[in-house]
Amino acid sequence: MHAEPSPLTSAEVRSDRMSPAAPAQDALKYDRLIEAVALRRDREAFAQLFEYFAPRLKAWLIKSGATPGAAEDFAQDAMLTVWRKADLFDARKARAATWIFTIARNRRLDMLRRDARPLPTPEIELAGEEVRRPDDILSMSEDTERVRHALARLKPDQVEVLRLAFYMDNPHSEIARSLDLPLGTVKSRIRNAMIKLRAMLELSEEAS
Amino acid sequence: MNARRNPSEERLLAYAAGVLSPPQAVVVAAHLALRPANHAWVRRLQAVGGELLDETSPSPLSADALARAMARIETDTGVVTAQPLLNDMPELPEPLRRYALGPWRWVGPGIRVRDVHAPRDGACRVILLKIDPGRETPRHTHGGVELTCVLSGAYATETERFDVGDFEEADAEVIHQPRVVSDDPCLCVAALDGQIQLDGWLGRLMQPFARL
Repeated sequence: MHAEPSPLTSAEVRSDRMSPAAPAQDALKYDRLIEAVALRRDREAFAQLFEYFAPRLKAWLIKSGATPGAAEDFAQDAMLTVWRKADLFDARKARAATWIFTIARNRRLDMLRRDARPLPTPEIELAGEEVRRPDDILSMSEDTERVRHALARLKPDQVEVLRLAFYMDNPHSEIARSLDLPLGTVKSRIRNAMIKLRAMLELSEEAS
Repeated sequence: MNARRNPSEERLLAYAAGVLSPPQAVVVAAHLALRPANHAWVRRLQAVGGELLDETSPSPLSADALARAMARIETDTGVVTAQPLLNDMPELPEPLRRYALGPWRWVGPGIRVRDVHAPRDGACRVILLKIDPGRETPRHTHGGVELTCVLSGAYATETERFDVGDFEEADAEVIHQPRVVSDDPCLCVAALDGQIQLDGWLGRLMQPFARL
């Protein structure tokens, strides 16, 4: 439908270098679109991001219990934040879906607070000041694939509880209710899923 | 990873997912600033969240959704500015520097408390607690969960020692009376949930603290 935006960015240089483990071109598409918004306030790129992510954000909020109207407002607001914060996006640190998930996650945390004082909510900073090591670019590009493979190797019921844990405000009891399972079963299923994920995803260099 | 002096996997997952209450999230954020390995793990969990978002079957938007979004960005004047570091304690980990702090209050011999003006959640709020060497905190139990992260110094309970970066979760069953075992005062950030019941004579002195 639209011409692929092709900002000549350092991201392209990076993507050439990481070819052995490069994710599919499609996985990088959304990273490029966010960079186009950051570099040129590219409205076309934003429209494409919106069309891909807004319906997913809406679905996420509906599953967490929001009404369709509230879920759509949430998606609108989260995407406006994507527009505003695009310059903080760093493809070396997070893929587009992770970055947008984080923006949405911070917005939800903001909504959860019960008082109205205008205070900053703790955010997970994906755009900090850290010094990157040369191999970080490669390890970041492998990340999406690693995560995808790890999820594929979990049992379906483990992926299901994990998905619900990310969706629901009060994971354990709500998951138990929605799956009609005892609370203990849900807890042990989440714990087992986390143990498997750690075994598959934790890098040895990150061990404490 | 020592499970006892770190947040539970469930709590890290809830933090990564954005469903932890804001006061608790503040204490977890402070801990992550002091424990890079756990911070890296939370980031990885966020990548899992991103992947799950990516795999979510989309929910159709209303017909004018894109037009509304495009209209909003045209008129948007919102700018993202770096948050100024607000408070007077540069020794705090970065996530805690964004919050204004109340005055130090003396709440007992060798014990001072100041509020962290982070978002509250019902009865749950965040405080900094500074306790002199050798002192014990007032003996107390709580209605809900109490999360603590050591920022400097060290304290010990009957069974365990907590050093800088260590994280403790104490629930309603725990009768809690940590004692400072470092040579310097011990500074902690804590999210207190529910009503705190103080035992003993210190309870009266601790009224402002208890009634926060």
